[in-house]
Amino acid sequence: MKDTLHNRTRLVGSATRRDFLTAGLATGGVVVAASRSAAAAGDPAITEIQDWNRYPGDGVAERPYGHPSPYEKHVIRRNVTWLTADTRSSVSFTPLHALDGIITPNGLCFERHHAGIAEIDPGMHRLMINGLVDTELVFTVADLKRFPRVNRVHFLECAANSGMEWRGAQLNGCQYTHGMVHCVMYTGVSLRHVLEEAGLKTSAKWVLAEGADAAAMTRSIPLEKMLDDCMVAYAMNGEALRPEQGYPLRLVVPGWEGNMWVKWLRRLEVGDQPWMQREETSKYTDLLANGKARRFTFEMDVKSVITSPSPQAPLLHGRGQTVISGIAWSGKGTIKRVDVTLDGGRNWTTARIDGPSMSKALHRFYLDFDWSGSPLLIQSRAIDETGFVQPTKDELRAARGENSIYHNNGIQTWQVKADGMVDNVEIS
Amino acid sequence: MSRFRDGFIALALAATVTLSLSSFASAAGDIAAGEKIFRKCTACHNIGVGARNRVGPELNGVIGRKAATAPEYSYSQAMINAGEGGLVWSVETLTKFLHHPKGMVDGTRMTFAGLKKPEEIADVIAYLSAFAADGTSATARTKEVLTEIVHKSQFANAADTPIPDHGIYHLGRKALPDEVSAWNIDVRPDGQGLPVGHGTVAQGEQLFTENCAVCHGDFGEGVGRWPVLAGGQESLKDDRPVKTIGSYWPYLSTVYDYVRRAMPFGNARSMSNDDVYALTAYLLYLNDIINDEKFDLSNKNFSSFHLPNEANFIPDTRHQEPEYASSKEPCMKNCKATPAKIIGRARVLDVTPASDDKNQGQGSVE
Repeated sequence: MKDTLHNRTRLVGSATRRDFLTAGLATGGVVVAASRSAAAAGDPAITEIQDWNRYPGDGVAERPYGHPSPYEKHVIRRNVTWLTADTRSSVSFTPLHALDGIITPNGLCFERHHAGIAEIDPGMHRLMINGLVDTELVFTVADLKRFPRVNRVHFLECAANSGMEWRGAQLNGCQYTHGMVHCVMYTGVSLRHVLEEAGLKTSAKWVLAEGADAAAMTRSIPLEKMLDDCMVAYAMNGEALRPEQGYPLRLVVPGWEGNMWVKWLRRLEVGDQPWMQREETSKYTDLLANGKARRFTFEMDVKSVITSPSPQAPLLHGRGQTVISGIAWSGKGTIKRVDVTLDGGRNWTTARIDGPSMSKALHRFYLDFDWSGSPLLIQSRAIDETGFVQPTKDELRAARGENSIYHNNGIQTWQVKADGMVDNVEIS
Repeated sequence: MSRFRDGFIALALAATVTLSLSSFASAAGDIAAGEKIFRKCTACHNIGVGARNRVGPELNGVIGRKAATAPEYSYSQAMINAGEGGLVWSVETLTKFLHHPKGMVDGTRMTFAGLKKPEEIADVIAYLSAFAADGTSATARTKEVLTEIVHKSQFANAADTPIPDHGIYHLGRKALPDEVSAWNIDVRPDGQGLPVGHGTVAQGEQLFTENCAVCHGDFGEGVGRWPVLAGGQESLKDDRPVKTIGSYWPYLSTVYDYVRRAMPFGNARSMSNDDVYALTAYLLYLNDIINDEKFDLSNKNFSSFHLPNEANFIPDTRHQEPEYASSKEPCMKNCKATPAKIIGRARVLDVTPASDDKNQGQGSVE
């Protein structure tokens, strides 16, 4: 028992990924040992009285805003320090390998800031509508909460998600290869209502969305999309937006690249042509092998990834019954089907999608199987409701070259080795 | 950065904290004001618990520290010589250094031009003084008192509330012209939104050296992983394309717009419209698009400039790619003649974050 507690304490104290993996293995080892020794002396988890079984714990309101168990302390957003010059213009990644279901907890949604987190007093925040409208308007946050409300679950994926993998397998963790995606339920007002309140002029074609952060983030968005399914959100998963996610207001642009979901939204300008802002010219344009660059590649294509097992979530239990778990999503709508291969793409089995299937939201899939203990090359391949099949990375490279940075929705391969450890690999 | 943020929040939280901190200041400066000014420095310097060397050395306990002695930081020979010559950072020496770094230590790696206002220097030194060598500071967080919000109605009788006549739901209010012009600073390629003003290449060079070179380099070559702004022409088909204003950006208006709204990093909206014209002119000069240092860029001649790569931008043609066209039923059985072979492995690169990693991978978040 002392060993168990000791190991658990060590896990709680660990902070880095490598420590976490080591500690996780140690804990796993203890669990296995405990179950094997049960026949001899009995499992101390059962035969000995635990502290939590004897002494009362914290009372109510000791944790006025609840937080995860200390044993889950390693499940956090992490960044890749070499990626950027400064953490205030950088990204942190969702720990996908440790999550399940389709909803991302608010504190674990990946972050992408261009000038750090704007800490905004909602009483000092305004949303302005100007440009080609009948009446230029200013709303307070309280004003926006008086419009009819909608609740919608949507994924948000950065266009650069998996962007570090264009030239080959580079980062050994699902958190890093695919963690620029999250999925929450937004509450807010349909943008149609807000724009119609100002009255659109007939020449209106585009809308510039602007944030109140120190980068004054801007993107041009076609009016047609804005009137179709965009919203101004003030809540996520039932509570106010987190500062990292744009408190008090953010734009929701379902199925389109995350950069357009302007956080700390303070202004919507209506115009007759795009503004060609930094984030839609020098960035978020896709350079092809022939030197041409695509712009306005808004929609996020069909994509999936196995989140467990993955390099940060190895299979430590030996052979026998196990679960492959993963997520799939498409900017074109729902996911129709996900196939999983265990042999590097020679044979595929259709996985089971479990939980709600909502348009432009994450879908959770599982493959339940009996692992023989031999090494595996596992992949997932999603098909969306329009019939578009997730491509291989090589198909994408053949079409675009390796300098696109954005929109890498290629099939991911993990190698499960004989000891259950998992590597990010590319295969022939 | 959380170490900063904590300090800042603590200052913002309670006036009493600020007052107690003021008495802590060893210089005549104001710690809270210094914290804001120090944001300019944070592109290169860390301070606080866990601070690391970056482009510049970490600054915990810098007051009283011999020059060029932050562990593991690679100093210029000039700074090493100054330290060996007896330079110790004090309020007096730092005041002189922060006023004109290269003037005091000729050859220092610090490209920052200096703070010109004596009170700003005093404030920054007060802020630096607040951190001990272990990064702890006097800016200890006060415990927030958790109180419920007390609601107060705007109108004694809800029925008296005026209702505006616009729209369908009659929500919000009309924007005032001054309000719109305060925020509506975007500039389009056709010149719409350009303010009246002008600035020369030579003026831009001075502004660039003082405000931009610290991150972007004296010639726009980029320091560390900060953006490269010049060069890279003819590199877009290379294995490692260099995407700069001259090689990649399609429109000059984007330069003006972005500099005006977001630069310099750490002190956005601090440039005048004329400054931004001058900087834009200098960036054209760095990219060999204009060659005359006396050239005066203005709202009148701005739209005559076209960047070299404009024609190479095309619409979204993803739907024309073969893998898009083949939305047929995918293969399920015996799809490959031979077993798949591993041809690449992330572990070989060893660039995944861990406690002791020093390796750097390819790519960036743009």
